[in-house]
Amino acid sequence: MLRIRLLPWEYGVRNLFRRPARSGLTLLALTTVVLLVLVVVAFIRGLEGSLATSGDPQVVLVYSIGAAADIENSAIPARTAALLSASLDGVEQRYGVSHVAPELYIGTKVQTSEEAPGMFGIVRGVTSATPLLRRQVQMLDGEWPGPGEVLVGKLTAAKLGCDPSLLRIGQSIRFDNRNWKISGHFTAGGAAFESEIWAPLEDLQSALKRQDISLVAVGLSNGASPADVEMFCKERVDLELQAVGEAAYYAALQKHYQPVRMLGWIVVLLVAGAGVFAGLNTMYGAVVGRVRELSTLQAVGFRRRSIVISLIQEATLLSMTASLIAAAIALFLVNGTAVRFTMGAFALRVDSLAILVGCGTGLLLGVLGAIPPAMKAMRYEIVEGLKAI
Amino acid sequence: MNSLCKLLTACLVAAPFVFVGCGTSPAPEAASGPSAEGQAFVLDAEPAAAKGVKDARADAKDGDEVTVVGRIGGDTNPWIEGQAAFLVVDNALKPCNEREDDACESPWDYCCDADALPTHKAMVKIVDSEGKTVATDARKLLGLKELQTVVVHGKAKRDEAGNLTVLADGIYVRK
Repeated sequence: MLRIRLLPWEYGVRNLFRRPARSGLTLLALTTVVLLVLVVVAFIRGLEGSLATSGDPQVVLVYSIGAAADIENSAIPARTAALLSASLDGVEQRYGVSHVAPELYIGTKVQTSEEAPGMFGIVRGVTSATPLLRRQVQMLDGEWPGPGEVLVGKLTAAKLGCDPSLLRIGQSIRFDNRNWKISGHFTAGGAAFESEIWAPLEDLQSALKRQDISLVAVGLSNGASPADVEMFCKERVDLELQAVGEAAYYAALQKHYQPVRMLGWIVVLLVAGAGVFAGLNTMYGAVVGRVRELSTLQAVGFRRRSIVISLIQEATLLSMTASLIAAAIALFLVNGTAVRFTMGAFALRVDSLAILVGCGTGLLLGVLGAIPPAMKAMRYEIVEGLKAI
Repeated sequence: MNSLCKLLTACLVAAPFVFVGCGTSPAPEAASGPSAEGQAFVLDAEPAAAKGVKDARADAKDGDEVTVVGRIGGDTNPWIEGQAAFLVVDNALKPCNEREDDACESPWDYCCDADALPTHKAMVKIVDSEGKTVATDARKLLGLKELQTVVVHGKAKRDEAGNLTVLADGIYVRK
């Protein structure tokens, strides 16, 4: 009772090649739709990944109480680092070195030459303690910056919107009325630091004529908790400091970008919806021209549901082929492309979730795009269908 | 054919409801009263001769027995996660929600009195018999929430900058 006689698999495949131009154009349209979906999801995943990778759960950021969540607006005394190191019990120490790193974080106009227009870049004043806390950071080439030198992140060229060849070792960039020689490059595993320029803290303070710093990053030993640092900052009302776990800081930034991510998913739905209508349009056209053929199949003995399944098979074959082509293009051409964003840059990530959403969209396009036209074609009586032109 | 149409339509209609169940679980409600552990710190009656935070900062010396009255607040997050410690503010300052036409979302941060706040706030730590801060969030331990007026009794701890911390062994919540 439950067995239904399906049309041969090859029947659906051959039908696709009977009208190669129509099938080719539909394949192109579906590939474009799935590729667009993949690009948008890769954007969302890249943004999420950049913020997620940036936070270390064992690092606490201490900065000015008036700065809210904007570290660029924070200004605290330079002695804060020594004070924290001396006052807190839970600071990680190795070989007599405390994992406490003062940093100066600014956004400023950066020029790749004197004549070039200034582009907005992020500069961080660092000390030799900084890599102890920014464990994701790895030198790619060159050396740690000395006086008058800077270290450039892997995505800095994308952030500045310039050719990467202008940021080679030995080249100079200009900001805050000084020239800085590039001493090396670093990567940070996709973290937000990858789009930054790192300069020696004292040099940067001297260039900016500032004695203060923006924040102190404190590395906690095992067993210590960010609450201990928070307690110190709240007890020392006179210092006007606040402490936030670095992971919590970037999680709050993720929430800040929630509207952008929601918009991204809405775009995915809209693009997929447009793809469904495009598929519907194509399938309606394909089915209308085959009414007589489909009625003949019914006359020969195939049930309507078998014919509907065959039509869905054709559409799904086309849409899944399009998904595979789009996934290959996304993986080889889109994955890893740097995108400039408000306070940094990040790389598009075509990961397993992006592929799942892209291919799932393709599958949906195939199924939903075929059902209505197939059902319309099945409404004809056999005799009427055989007489159709 | 008709039954297939019905089945497919039912699936399409039901699909969105699968995602209705997904999402974050609702935040747990704040405790309405002290926990069994917290009962040991709750005072039955308000201690006499309580001083405001500002006066206590001016008068109390390190190690003195003090009784301080204030409202919970002084920061967007006046609590210390996982510790029975919180900030209190002198009653002389008004929180934002007691000012006209102020729709501040976190009135307990006293952002309207940011200049005066440093001299009008203090830290309160609920300590056990060994002098260690109880390792339970004050909200769970004592059923506290922002802007409640509390009277705390304990020892004053001062630092070289004049900051006051009350190592409290008892707390009374004014209704």
